[in-house]
Amino acid sequence: MREHVGKSSKLFNGFTTIMRRFIFKVLCVGPIPNHISFIMDGNRRFAKKHNLQGLDAGHRAGFVSVTYVLQYCQEIGVPYVTLYAFGIDNFKREPEEVKCMMDLMLEKIELTIDQAISGNLKDLKVIFAGDLNLLNERLKVAAQSLMELTEQNRGLVAVVIVAYSTSHEIVQAIRESCVRKCVDGDSPLVLEMSDVEECMYTSIVPDPDLVIRSGGIDRLSNFMTWQSSRSLLHTTAALWPELGLWHLVWAILKFQRMHDYLQKKKKQKLD
Amino acid sequence: MKTRLVWLRNSGQTVAVGAANSLPPSSAVVRLDQMSGPVYTVPVPDMILDYMDFNDPMLALSSWIGQIGDFGLDLVWRFIHIVVTLWHIVSGIFESVESYAISLGLIQKYSSIDIEKLKCLAVVVDIEAARDVSKVIELLQWLTTIGVKQVGLFDSQGLLKKSKDMILEMVPRSVLLQETGEKHISPDRIALEFISSSDNKEAVVKAANILLEKYLKSIHPENGVGENVFTESHLNEALRVVGESVHVPDLLLVYGPVRSHLGFPAWRLRYTEIVHMGSLKYMRYGSLLKAIHKFTGVRQNYGV
Repeated sequence: MREHVGKSSKLFNGFTTIMRRFIFKVLCVGPIPNHISFIMDGNRRFAKKHNLQGLDAGHRAGFVSVTYVLQYCQEIGVPYVTLYAFGIDNFKREPEEVKCMMDLMLEKIELTIDQAISGNLKDLKVIFAGDLNLLNERLKVAAQSLMELTEQNRGLVAVVIVAYSTSHEIVQAIRESCVRKCVDGDSPLVLEMSDVEECMYTSIVPDPDLVIRSGGIDRLSNFMTWQSSRSLLHTTAALWPELGLWHLVWAILKFQRMHDYLQKKKKQKLD
Repeated sequence: MKTRLVWLRNSGQTVAVGAANSLPPSSAVVRLDQMSGPVYTVPVPDMILDYMDFNDPMLALSSWIGQIGDFGLDLVWRFIHIVVTLWHIVSGIFESVESYAISLGLIQKYSSIDIEKLKCLAVVVDIEAARDVSKVIELLQWLTTIGVKQVGLFDSQGLLKKSKDMILEMVPRSVLLQETGEKHISPDRIALEFISSSDNKEAVVKAANILLEKYLKSIHPENGVGENVFTESHLNEALRVVGESVHVPDLLLVYGPVRSHLGFPAWRLRYTEIVHMGSLKYMRYGSLLKAIHKFTGVRQNYGV
């Protein structure tokens, strides 16, 4: 009986994989976003909705969603994915909750490091962006190791944004560019837009084409407002742990419908 | 002997493509000196191409099957997009009917709105639509009726800025925000602000240069370290010096084909609710009421 169940679930998984690959093949007939950003909202509401115990229960469920989303984006062939994991405003939450989230992040980073060492992460490059100095030492060191381990990987670039807000990013970028101007004796002491932009935490990735926010909220919540001038902003009512294949497909279909318009906007004289 | 198009792999990564005339039928190894005519080298990283023969019927068949497959996928993709477009048309019809019902006052919950919660409204207008300024004027008249006190009008190319005198004249009881200041708007007036892309990144760079000057002036000759002028409040102050408003809109209505803020000042957009209203040409009073009513019911955590 168990063997039967095992075999039928394998068959079912095989079938869903084939269906999913077919759906992605169809999707790839049209333009695919070069960079998708995800605002991962709704973990706490998910935990409350399902009466899950523990401060990090919702976030644990959220991490499962992260693995699926990255897998789907890799299969579709999206080159860059950004995940808004933890904002500077989130530090204002209860200290136990913040500690729980930091411990969970550390646990998942160490798990990913093990995967990288065993050679299971060849097609994924992980980068952490944000003010990493605001993180505790152990988390910061783990994040650096994961970045070093996956630095040479080719394939999907997954940028995990932590300790970030647009306002903090802009101010830090101005500070950094001012300091660089002062140190560099050759150039005139006037800041250009490129000087400020190259000092931003998210300068490592191109501007997002599609920003997907889960949780049904219509705000950007201080996330990449500088970089999203020509992005399609898509909100889905599904909470982050509920976000699945069809939500992603729907968002990409919407992007494809609006692609010509967005390309025209990009070519116009930009801000 | 047939002429064959040949791809060659050499020990490095470049591959040569050319014609070979005098090959026996099943050569596994071909040398460059056996090729006749022009030979093109092609850099092909991470890829190995096998020796192929276009006259081979199996290859032609598999290429033909591939093309049919691609055509089939293309058809399925187009069909899916037709279905999605139909869905949008149908939901557009439902929204129009609902909007009409709201504007006639048939839906109870939209008949009263707590407008005090909406301190500052911003409207993003797509540049093509912005050429029709009469629609913008009509929208502003609606907003005045609803009781909105402060409206920031944004279009990326600054066309509305150029028409600002006409707009101020045509919208009753309107006044330019810069003249009155945010705190001195009398109850029966609507304060208008005209914003364009130059108020976004360029303005922040100008403010950054002010901060740089301040920093340079404050550098101690002994240790070469300047004062910390790099905080959000310093940047706010520098933006005011440059002539920018730093007031954060509560709600942003986007009139255009796509839900995108099109370059609205990033510094001000941090916690703003962004709602897509559709095209300006087909704007509806009921949809406007609905969006404002929905906003007044929103609760922000600000990340906490």
